Amino acid sequence: MKSEILYPGAFPMVRVELTAGEHIKAESGAMVACSPTIDIESKMEGGFLGALSRKFLTGEKFFFQTLRASRGPGEALLAPTVPGEIVILELDGVSEYMVQKDGFLAGADGIVIESKMQSLSRGLLGGEGFFILKISGKGTLVLNSFGAIHKIELKPDQEYIVDNSHLVAWSSTTSYNIEKATSGWIASVTSGEGFVCRFRGPGLVYIQSRNPGSFGAWIRQFIPVSE
Amino acid sequence: MTSNALCFGNDYPASGAPCFVQVDEAGLTITFESEGPDGTREAAPFDALAVSAGGLDHDHLVVKWTGLQGERTLYLKAPDVIGAFRQAAPDHLSLPFAQAAELVRQVRYRRRLVWGLSLGMILSTVLGLWFASDLLVEIAVSRIPVEWEQKLGDSAYRDFLANQEVIKEGLAVTALGEMTQRLTEQIPNNPYKFEVTVVKSDVINAFALPGGHVVVFTGLMKKADSGEEVAGVMSHELNHVLQRHGLERIVKSLGLLTVVTIVLGDQQGLVGMMKQLSVELLTLKFGREQEIEADVTGLQLLQQAKIDPSGMIHFFERLSEKDEGRMEWLSTHPMSTGRAERLKAELAALPKKSPEPFTFDWKQVQASLGSQPIVAP
Ligand SMILES: [Zn+2]
Repeated sequence: MKSEILYPGAFPMVRVELTAGEHIKAESGAMVACSPTIDIESKMEGGFLGALSRKFLTGEKFFFQTLRASRGPGEALLAPTVPGEIVILELDGVSEYMVQKDGFLAGADGIVIESKMQSLSRGLLGGEGFFILKISGKGTLVLNSFGAIHKIELKPDQEYIVDNSHLVAWSSTTSYNIEKATSGWIASVTSGEGFVCRFRGPGLVYIQSRNPGSFGAWIRQFIPVSE
Repeated sequence: MTSNALCFGNDYPASGAPCFVQVDEAGLTITFESEGPDGTREAAPFDALAVSAGGLDHDHLVVKWTGLQGERTLYLKAPDVIGAFRQAAPDHLSLPFAQAAELVRQVRYRRRLVWGLSLGMILSTVLGLWFASDLLVEIAVSRIPVEWEQKLGDSAYRDFLANQEVIKEGLAVTALGEMTQRLTEQIPNNPYKFEVTVVKSDVINAFALPGGHVVVFTGLMKKADSGEEVAGVMSHELNHVLQRHGLERIVKSLGLLTVVTIVLGDQQGLVGMMKQLSVELLTLKFGREQEIEADVTGLQLLQQAKIDPSGMIHFFERLSEKDEGRMEWLSTHPMSTGRAERLKAELAALPKKSPEPFTFDWKQVQASLGSQPIVAP
């Protein structure tokens, strides 16, 4: 899987090149266009129950799609639903990332996706739901965000506080605690949640520059209310 | 060489450098992936190491030391390496190892406990509400004033009459008036004013609306063999009203939230909602338990009014036979098997009373309805 981000910025697409016989996983609905050599299979990653749990507990679409270059090499264009940046990570087989439900766009065949139950307090307060995706394995991982994506690098024991609704992905070597936001944090006013995550390194935390919940609330005020 | 750990340090990227950790008798040997043929190696002797549990779920073994290149932090997850390390580690590391393992156990235990407790609480709340819901419905219904019930029934009644032909006078009206009179006299503290309307229709039906409107179709009167049979249906219908079965159904269909709202005192918002439901009142299907209750209390009322209850039982037996024409009554009063048998048993348990006949002649009443009685197929 060779990948390239087209039109970087708010409305990017990713072009992935597949060699003959190669296959990748993509978020269902991410496919924009592809070569005629590529077949789209809806596969239930992690079995039926796994798919079901993703559907009901993370709100993730029921299926991941598998794009397979069955009839020779080809390419596919993938795009997320929301406007925002795309980032490509190369997983080395040791690193693991936790990804919030809407952050996954595509992954090479060697990428392993699991639904993972969070601790209750993180599930209740963290804003990513009770289940998040745990992504490991080896190969290319494509994530997408709402707004621009920003990488925070944490040294061992270095701390950083992130508004929970801005989280996209974080390495499993980090740890975090949910804390009540002190006044001034954006989420506390707009989303009414008022919780932040205190991350502790080492590892990476990817955040998005826009908050989907706040954006939704902002849009809603312009929608006429029908009686 | 496949990496089995991540190494962090000032000269490595923040995501950590993938590396391969081997355990030998002196300590750990860390080999880094690199472009060179054998990569870079770093040795970490046991006596320089400190271990703890870390990572998102405390499921990583964190090894720290200060090497020649400065501070190093190693995140290990592979069980085989951790096992080998623990086995080879000298005494000064066995305590931290045990502490780290204990922490992992505690975190897992606490997480399971919290999840278990929460799921248990949710489950018991759901079960509790399930069992308490009938009680809540009862409390809610008891808080709805009779006047509201009457308003609700009035509006449904008007909707219904809009396209019906009403028989205002004649033998049928006086006969039903006599039945109602005899039955209602026996109801102590009756808050309802029962009004009976005879509607010209071949449909075999009768219904009562919350608040006291009772509608009897001429089809039902033609079908009945005696006044006592009609009185049995009437008594059953009156008891649906007296037991407020219609309200119970409405409140149930409005949902638990509404029920709780009524119980807690805000009945105002309910009026509008119930208005919209007045049409549904006409097709309201009673529950099995409500049918049994209306049957049993209906039977008792007949007995008190000295109306022969065997008419009711006989009529039910005939209704439960198949192909009885347009048996609309059954669609809103589901007939369960053995209903007549149940009534017989109830009747046997009641003290015997000698029935007093009605003053009207049933054949004449039927004749007054015009066309010949419906002939059973
Ligand atoms: Zn009934």
